Amino acid sequence: MTATLRLTVNGKSHDISAASDTPLIYVLRNDLELNSPKFGCGLGECGACTVIMDGVAARSCVIPVGGCTGREIVTLEGLGSRERTDPVQHAFIEEQAAQCGYCLNGMIMTAKALLMRNAHPNETEILEALRYNLCRCGAHVEIIRAVMRAASPERVAP
Amino acid sequence: MSGHSRDRKGSLRIVRPAAGGDETFIEIREDGAIDAFNGHVDLGTGIGTALTQIVAEELDVGFARVTIVLGDTSRTPNQGATIASETIQITAIPLRKAAAQARHFLLARAAARLELPVEQLSVIDGLIRGNDNRSVSYGELIAGDIIRLELADDVTVKTVDSYRIVGQSQPRIDLPAKATGELVYVHDMRVPGMLHGRVIRPPYAGVDAGDFIGNSLIAVDESSIAHIPGIVAVVTIGDFVGVVAGREENAVKAAEQLKVSWKPTPPIPDLKDIETALRANPSTPRVLLNKGNVDAAIAGAAKPIKRTYIWPYHMHASIGPSCALADVQSNGVRVWSGTQNPHILRVDLSFLLGLPEEQIDLIRMEAAGCYGRNCADDVTADAVLLSRAVGRPVRVQLTREQEHAWEPKGSAQLMDVNGGLDADGGVAAYDFQTRYPSNGAPTLALILTGIISPVPQISEMGDRTAIPPYDYDNMRIVAHDMPPIVRAAWLRGVSALPNTFAHESYIDELAREAKVDPIEYRLRYLRDPRAVDLVKAVAERGNWTPRPEWKPPENENDIVRGRGFAYALYVHSKFPGYGAAWSAWIADVAVNKATGDVAVTRVVAGQDSGLMINPDGVRHQIHGNVIQSVSRTLKEEVTFDSTGVTSREWGGYPIITFPEIPSIDVLMLPRNDQPPLGVGESASVPSAAAIANAIFDATGVRFRELPFTPERIKAGLQQAGVATPSLAPPEPARVATLTRSWLPSVATVGVAACAAMAMVWPWRAAIPPIATPDPSTYSATTIARGAQLAALGDCAVCHTGPSGIVNAGGRALETPFGIVYATNITPDRDTGIGAWSYPAFERAMRHGIHRDGKHLYPAFPYNHFTKTSDADLQALYAYLMVQTTVRAESPETKLAFPFNLRPLMAGWNAMFLTSGAMVSDPAQSAEWNRGAYLVESLGHCGACHSPRNALGAEQTGKAHLAGGVAEGWEAPPLTALSQAPIPWSENELYNYLRTGTSRYHGVAAGPMGPVVQQLANVPDSDIRAMATYLASMNDGVNSASEHALATRLETLTLDRSTTRGIAGERIFDGACAVCHAVGGPELFGARPSLALNTNVHSATPDNLIQVILHGIDKPVTSDLGYMPAFKGSLNDRQVADLIAYTRRQFAPDRPAWGDVEAAVARLRKAQVQH
Repeated sequence: MTATLRLTVNGKSHDISAASDTPLIYVLRNDLELNSPKFGCGLGECGACTVIMDGVAARSCVIPVGGCTGREIVTLEGLGSRERTDPVQHAFIEEQAAQCGYCLNGMIMTAKALLMRNAHPNETEILEALRYNLCRCGAHVEIIRAVMRAASPERVAP
Repeated sequence: MSGHSRDRKGSLRIVRPAAGGDETFIEIREDGAIDAFNGHVDLGTGIGTALTQIVAEELDVGFARVTIVLGDTSRTPNQGATIASETIQITAIPLRKAAAQARHFLLARAAARLELPVEQLSVIDGLIRGNDNRSVSYGELIAGDIIRLELADDVTVKTVDSYRIVGQSQPRIDLPAKATGELVYVHDMRVPGMLHGRVIRPPYAGVDAGDFIGNSLIAVDESSIAHIPGIVAVVTIGDFVGVVAGREENAVKAAEQLKVSWKPTPPIPDLKDIETALRANPSTPRVLLNKGNVDAAIAGAAKPIKRTYIWPYHMHASIGPSCALADVQSNGVRVWSGTQNPHILRVDLSFLLGLPEEQIDLIRMEAAGCYGRNCADDVTADAVLLSRAVGRPVRVQLTREQEHAWEPKGSAQLMDVNGGLDADGGVAAYDFQTRYPSNGAPTLALILTGIISPVPQISEMGDRTAIPPYDYDNMRIVAHDMPPIVRAAWLRGVSALPNTFAHESYIDELAREAKVDPIEYRLRYLRDPRAVDLVKAVAERGNWTPRPEWKPPENENDIVRGRGFAYALYVHSKFPGYGAAWSAWIADVAVNKATGDVAVTRVVAGQDSGLMINPDGVRHQIHGNVIQSVSRTLKEEVTFDSTGVTSREWGGYPIITFPEIPSIDVLMLPRNDQPPLGVGESASVPSAAAIANAIFDATGVRFRELPFTPERIKAGLQQAGVATPSLAPPEPARVATLTRSWLPSVATVGVAACAAMAMVWPWRAAIPPIATPDPSTYSATTIARGAQLAALGDCAVCHTGPSGIVNAGGRALETPFGIVYATNITPDRDTGIGAWSYPAFERAMRHGIHRDGKHLYPAFPYNHFTKTSDADLQALYAYLMVQTTVRAESPETKLAFPFNLRPLMAGWNAMFLTSGAMVSDPAQSAEWNRGAYLVESLGHCGACHSPRNALGAEQTGKAHLAGGVAEGWEAPPLTALSQAPIPWSENELYNYLRTGTSRYHGVAAGPMGPVVQQLANVPDSDIRAMATYLASMNDGVNSASEHALATRLETLTLDRSTTRGIAGERIFDGACAVCHAVGGPELFGARPSLALNTNVHSATPDNLIQVILHGIDKPVTSDLGYMPAFKGSLNDRQVADLIAYTRRQFAPDRPAWGDVEAAVARLRKAQVQH
């Protein structure tokens, strides 16, 4: 049942040896050592495992890797690094938009996917886009500000 | 090794001698690097940043030069558990002194070296400069030396007015790495040779006391996971069960599929009724305060007022299920853990392993926020047991369901207040009793393995803020110490939150009775000047207008608004304890009197935190506390059944979402002259009372039990007669689930029919075997045509068994008469059809007779295939004969009497088989006739979509294609009897058959998924023809009407006024809405619209149950996305509730389904038997 599957992640091609029903998250984390997608529920409820697949947010805990071949997968690591952050990552750091940070991957990736299809969302659109990403620490206020900042850097007071 | 005791050349260490060696607080090295050590850990609050600021400040070095090390047992001082907001207030004190002591020492050394008095020296970033401009660095002063100083008590620390780093907002040190995926959480820790473990928990979910604990396991059947590759071990010790595998997904599968049998579990008390359960729980009263004469004062009260307040069980609800990595070797144990109490956990692990503590090195890593005691310690012990069993490093992560079920809950609590008003409207007496059934929750593995006895310990933690902050003359405060009822431990605010809910609700009730403004009334009894300052400052910030008397607010449609106040000083640690930061709230709410919805629209949260080390950090803690406690107050409540916790995912335990976040106005009093106080919990404490008081202000109704869910508020308002009459229509008539057409009494009917059937040609001759035809005798065109026909006929769907080898047979097909096994139809001579001549094949296809002459069962739909044209049958034969030969015996079909008598099928054929080719209908188009041929012959749609009679024959006439069953799924009617809310049009039939999805109907799932997958090989023109034929049976609408109808139906579902608060709504919101809410977020995959979905509108709930239990793991194409299975997360009741809600919300014109819970149980069981 184990097969060789070709995955494109963060612009690089990888041949993975795994059963095709393996949830994508385990392949990203264990085979590619990309730690950003976090296992939160395994049911697609919380969003901690979010990656961007073919340009839209995808919950990697409920998508078998067999369904991911031939697609472009981007993880948080693929957005940017500490030295070279993506504007959304930068906005989250500037706004101090996390406490424990376990949900942060999902927040940034979902926000990034939102901004890719709607560069200037209003606050309601941001709240709705993040409605199904859960945060337990209560960093919501800072997260909303971070997405606003990423959407319109000029609108946020310094 | 309990402290960092290595002496390193070129270092200065400030230490405290301890039994196991020195504990280091500060180490400065000759290269200028500085390490600071604290035994507490960062639970995600940013405490590491604040501690770094303190050290940098006292040492006069730049912030970036200090590295903070938290919690590692071999490196940091043992300072107990990170609880009770103690880190800044208590454990930071020696750290600050150590840094100051190091600075004094280095200054003195510099003074000697530079031969200048200390007063003439200044320090900037670790460089000591004399007033003559000569300088020497810390590193230079240490170079080559080994300096060890014992921490002194009387160290002069800096005065606040000289602070440059402390008191300034400092960005968190951890966030850049967290925002880029570079921070290594405990979940991300990997070491060479690491394996993956998972545990299987007992059925008594979340219960840790009782003599059945640790001895309920009956057996583990390891053969049940023999098919999963890479299993290294199955470990059982008492009731501890775990699996270890090479790959994580295999450990997950093994844990899901391992067959474990358990003894029945005795029932727990009914926790739907918390008041009764807590009163019945044995307890010991402990008087915390007795002042004045309470009994006399109550007896003499002008208006006695007796109240009870009830707090539900809450969860810590960490977003990340707990995880740990352990490496148990003979020469020592290394453990990577997210625990909040590394040193205490190490004692537990030492006990668990029977090893001295010194052999265990526990490295504390960051984890998901825990807000108290979650499963971090439990999973660490689990990892240790599994690693010991296999002798290799093992990483274990709990499932979401295990974390939810087994985390020690924030306990339910019961508060009774007796007292009342005196003749002057003052507080006559305050007689307060509190019950808090919780302890520290022993580490689970110790109990499951029987190492410690499952007799619950009683801890005295119900007393936090049990004494109200008000100076009542007659006051008696009693904590009834009691053991836990279910597994429970501290959660943010501990017992202070519920106690304050009672104190601050009660004083509000008294003020309203006395007709005095609630803030003014509080100030009459508040003596603490900092409390008075805070209350006044918050009232001013919130523009509080005195409200001495309750007046109904103005209605805006159904919405009424109100505001409430509450104040608390969070008192933590062992009684009488310490005060953390002072906190006060004004909460504004909007209450919908028709639905019971409460929105907290704004919170003014004021806090006196003393000196704030990192003001932004304090602000974020206040935000976090406000948001989390609003969530707890409005939404949260753990549910139980008689065996334990039933809230096992976010639908069963919903927490606040972005659109529900209040606007938060934080007021931080400047108190830099006062010692710093813990801020991790205080702002949560006034929450529930402030919100309850605001709801009273809005409605005039007092709510004394959490959470303030729509159903509770609606019921309370109705009871008080102030609810807006609900617009809800009367409950729809309930109808019984339609009985499936071919199920009743098959056995009796069958026996009765036997005699008649047996008379008709019961035997047929065998057709001699032939040499398998030479593939080269068939043209490529014929073979290709045959392949299309095989796809149309779904041969491979039934004839491919568990081996996955196409057409090699072995698949079990359930029929009401028993299981029929599909046969091998590859050209293998012995086990397949390699010896079948075309006439034999044709006879089987047209008459249901095996080559050897025996009758086939009509699970093989030869009643359809008989209509296939000769040319098509020949092409199909050619295709099947050129397949790869696979030798595979199929299991023998053994039906019960009388159906085991195959000759009876002759009678069946006589009664129900109409042989002969299709006759075309000249009145219809060629396309229609083509579609009819495909649907009725090889397509055999009726095999599933037509009802069957008691003998398993398809019904005809009006019943033709009027809906049937397949493998436990409903095959919906394809005719005008369809329950689809939008009639099927030709275009949508085409889209569905071509792509597996229709915007106006839904996705193909269950047995229909493989059918559509097979149809991918059928040309467009044939798909279109089938759509044309099927559409002619429906009153399809044009696409503009479809769109308009869909929009109308979907818009209707946005209105929840008739479903708000009914059971199942919360589960839908937490588990389903992310992919199914109208207008929800864009996510990978389809977003099937339930308002348009045939299954939601059907006469039976079966398909909805099937898809919820088992999900969709093999969609027609991966573009459609996947649906997870909820069978392991939701119980029968929860699935039934979810389905009832879904039906009512998305098919409001259809009657409720009857007895859904039994149907869920039936379909769940059917799957297990597979």
